[in-house]
Amino acid sequence: MIKIADVVIVGGGISGVAIAYNLAKKGVKNVAVIEKSYLASGATGRCGAGIRQQWGTKMNCKMAKFSCEFFENAKEELKYEGDIEFKQGGYLILSSTEKEHEQFKKNIVLQNSLGIPSRLLTLEEAKEIVPFLNTDGLVSATFCQKDGHLNPFHTTEAFAKAAERLGVEIYRYTEVKDIIIEHGKVKGIRTDKGDISTNIVVNAAGGHAQVVAKMAGVDIPVYSERHQILVTEAIEPILDPMVMSFSLNLYCQQVPHGGLIMGRGDEGEPRDLRVTAGWHFLEEMAKTITSLLPPLKNVRMIRQWAGLYNITPDRQPILGALNEVEGLYLAVGFSGHGFMFGPATGVLIAESILGEETTLPIDMLNMNRFEKGQLIFEPSVV
Amino acid sequence: MVRIDKHPVLEFKRGKKIRFTFDGKELEGYEGESIAAALHAAGIKVLTHSHELKRPRGFYCAIGNCGQCIMEVNGVSNVRTCIEPLKEGMAVKTQEGKGGIL
Repeated sequence: MIKIADVVIVGGGISGVAIAYNLAKKGVKNVAVIEKSYLASGATGRCGAGIRQQWGTKMNCKMAKFSCEFFENAKEELKYEGDIEFKQGGYLILSSTEKEHEQFKKNIVLQNSLGIPSRLLTLEEAKEIVPFLNTDGLVSATFCQKDGHLNPFHTTEAFAKAAERLGVEIYRYTEVKDIIIEHGKVKGIRTDKGDISTNIVVNAAGGHAQVVAKMAGVDIPVYSERHQILVTEAIEPILDPMVMSFSLNLYCQQVPHGGLIMGRGDEGEPRDLRVTAGWHFLEEMAKTITSLLPPLKNVRMIRQWAGLYNITPDRQPILGALNEVEGLYLAVGFSGHGFMFGPATGVLIAESILGEETTLPIDMLNMNRFEKGQLIFEPSVV
Repeated sequence: MVRIDKHPVLEFKRGKKIRFTFDGKELEGYEGESIAAALHAAGIKVLTHSHELKRPRGFYCAIGNCGQCIMEVNGVSNVRTCIEPLKEGMAVKTQEGKGGIL
């Protein structure tokens, strides 16, 4: 293990490897990523593999659009020999109430103003995209063809390999035990495989972000909530877009392999970092999805798993330097959409560490927004 | 192919002899035994093919877990024939592709 680094990143998910790649690309020589398990073993690899630009806040829209445009060229930029399975089948988002419909209208205006080609659909138009959609109880839909699917494991691997080619050291199965702070400044990091001296530490620990922040003596206003997913057997293609509903609290898409990945949020989910799977989810998921997409009654589920949403009070991430501790940067609190924001996170945090002007303004995502009370709530989260 | 008649632990209670078809060809089996067992007794070893490389796949776990025996039965795809009881007149087919549900 190296003894000295310019930057140490905690967490080998999409955010961590994307930040490392961008730092190395900008010429930073000694960058280390510390991952306590395998790459993408946490929230990244457990996510629903969807990428969308249909958000309800300006910042989320901008980060999503930036990232989506990156994904369109990711294979070339990252020179990955594998397949990141990028498929732009669109996201079909359904509204179930007049109130939600009104929110969707606002979302579309915002998205279009930022160059995101989303549009409001009637239920008849939605059925042209998904003919077997059961529209009972629905009001309208929004659709963006450029949204879609991306394989989290391959994408993380693509960033990691590109970063390693540029000299980044990635320490897998290495656990950060402490962050060494002296006089309010970051001085190093302690792991179970040794210490690294550094003046800059990035917390990109996903569902464990608050645990890592605590090591630096900092409380961050996030909690981690379990969210569950199941996948079915592979079948011939039947569903192009991701189908999503905030009021039904679910999403479902068919991945290129043929399996259908679906998930839902649940009020009663534990917030104690556990990622065990529960039977209650299976029952609720099966009931709700077969009501919305009836042919799915005939497909068998294969397995289920769980991951952690690292949730902030306004459902937008916390990005950038922390005022309390010099040298500590945060890329946390993605509230369930850290994977799809990965490319933006990578660029923005790297720029912010190097003191450059950031590609997108991220001041409003700084942690000090919570003290100032300047929260902008994201309405569109499952 | 030989059927096991005597086994030190297991008992075989066979149903009556019935007819079914495999890819249109008429075969005989015993009612209530698994479709895969009846096919195996008839000498049919290739039940499906792998998705990516299209390699032949046959009777393997025999308890409905591995998915190496999925076939189309009476028009329904992805039926695990190792645990699906055989019935009179069943139309069993080799499945092309991953199977549809619509």
